[in-house]
Amino acid sequence: MSGRPESDEDLLMRIRSGDEEAFLWLYRRRQGAIYRFTLHMSGSATVAEDITQEVFLALLREECGYDPDRGTLSGYLFGIARKLVLRHLERGRADVQLEAGGEDSVLPELAIAQDPLEHLTQHERIEALRRAVVTLPRRYREVVVLCDLEEVDYADAAVVLGCPIGTVRSRLHRARALLLEKLNRDWPKRAVVKELKPARVLI
Amino acid sequence: MTCEEFWNSLSRPPGAEFFEPGGEERAHLLECAACDARLARQRELAAGLRSLADSYRGLKAPGRVEARLIRAFHAQHGAPVGMNRPWLVPVWAAAAALLLAAALLLTTGRQPAAPHRTPTGLELASMDAVSASDGFTAETETTEEREGFIPLPNAEGIGPNDDVNLVRVEVPRSALVALGVDVNADQASDRVEADVLLGSDGVARAVRFLD
Repeated sequence: MSGRPESDEDLLMRIRSGDEEAFLWLYRRRQGAIYRFTLHMSGSATVAEDITQEVFLALLREECGYDPDRGTLSGYLFGIARKLVLRHLERGRADVQLEAGGEDSVLPELAIAQDPLEHLTQHERIEALRRAVVTLPRRYREVVVLCDLEEVDYADAAVVLGCPIGTVRSRLHRARALLLEKLNRDWPKRAVVKELKPARVLI
Repeated sequence: MTCEEFWNSLSRPPGAEFFEPGGEERAHLLECAACDARLARQRELAAGLRSLADSYRGLKAPGRVEARLIRAFHAQHGAPVGMNRPWLVPVWAAAAALLLAAALLLTTGRQPAAPHRTPTGLELASMDAVSASDGFTAETETTEEREGFIPLPNAEGIGPNDDVNLVRVEVPRSALVALGVDVNADQASDRVEADVLLGSDGVARAVRFLD
């Protein structure tokens, strides 16, 4: 294999004719994003590993139902991963409580008085944000992981999630609002410290 | 410009939630501290999400997933395409010769002073066998897939129709001493991957080192 990288679709055609090298290229190109998506969604490295394997096994099966007219191969792989993750979450009832806030509920008001992020070191910020993402309700978590962390474009995300692009955007908006709300709520003490800092001396 | 108009104008371009405000939007930000603070926080969140994405960028599935998928690919499509390429023949021949030499070295070239014995199940457990819950699943192997295994000293042989299980383990390099291989003391604590063939009674029969 040399020169211009082959498209996923070209690789898939070679895979179907039994080309192992093409399979390896495609796997190595796409597995990281699939693994990270399932890891963020499930919170379990073991589940992420199993699902990543299942996604590419599905690609090998004769009944692999990828249709180029309906989206990219990458989106198709994310779609399989998502279905498997949802199946896993439903089996474990892992996030039943997290689903309480429906899409129609009122958007949380963005607090503007304090900014918990500014008090955190870079590492703490990233870890805090990771925890906040993992505890988002599933429908918001998946859109944040796809669009913000894996940089899947909105059109592909809409195919993966099986919803209109507008829904992707509104979920993303609400997801970001929820993240800010979580970050505010999780570190109230830090904010209080700043709040108590005297701005002027009262006599 | 009202606050609502400001946020509507910001979300106008698809896929660009945090774009730079234009002149009219900037004027609103100067007037409205709430929107200014809210936009700053959203930008900071976007920066945080980018950092989070960057921190995970290199994370990939473990190598064993690729190994399993390749096996599945071979099971479906037969021999790898590369096997049919003539220029690879000498490479495969050299690799086979090296394997053969290694096998001879392991099985006949060096005899340990102490008599060999078959590792017990307990010993196998201490070899850090990775459990199925950690992603390694014990799989039933066919006869063709048993190639490359070195029979363990004093272990019973495996008949062509015997049921066996294959377990992938990580063992300390010092475990090679039991097979008569000299191990450098500095490397004794290093770990090597191996496939262990277990009989239906759970006793180890043969081993294949992957490194």
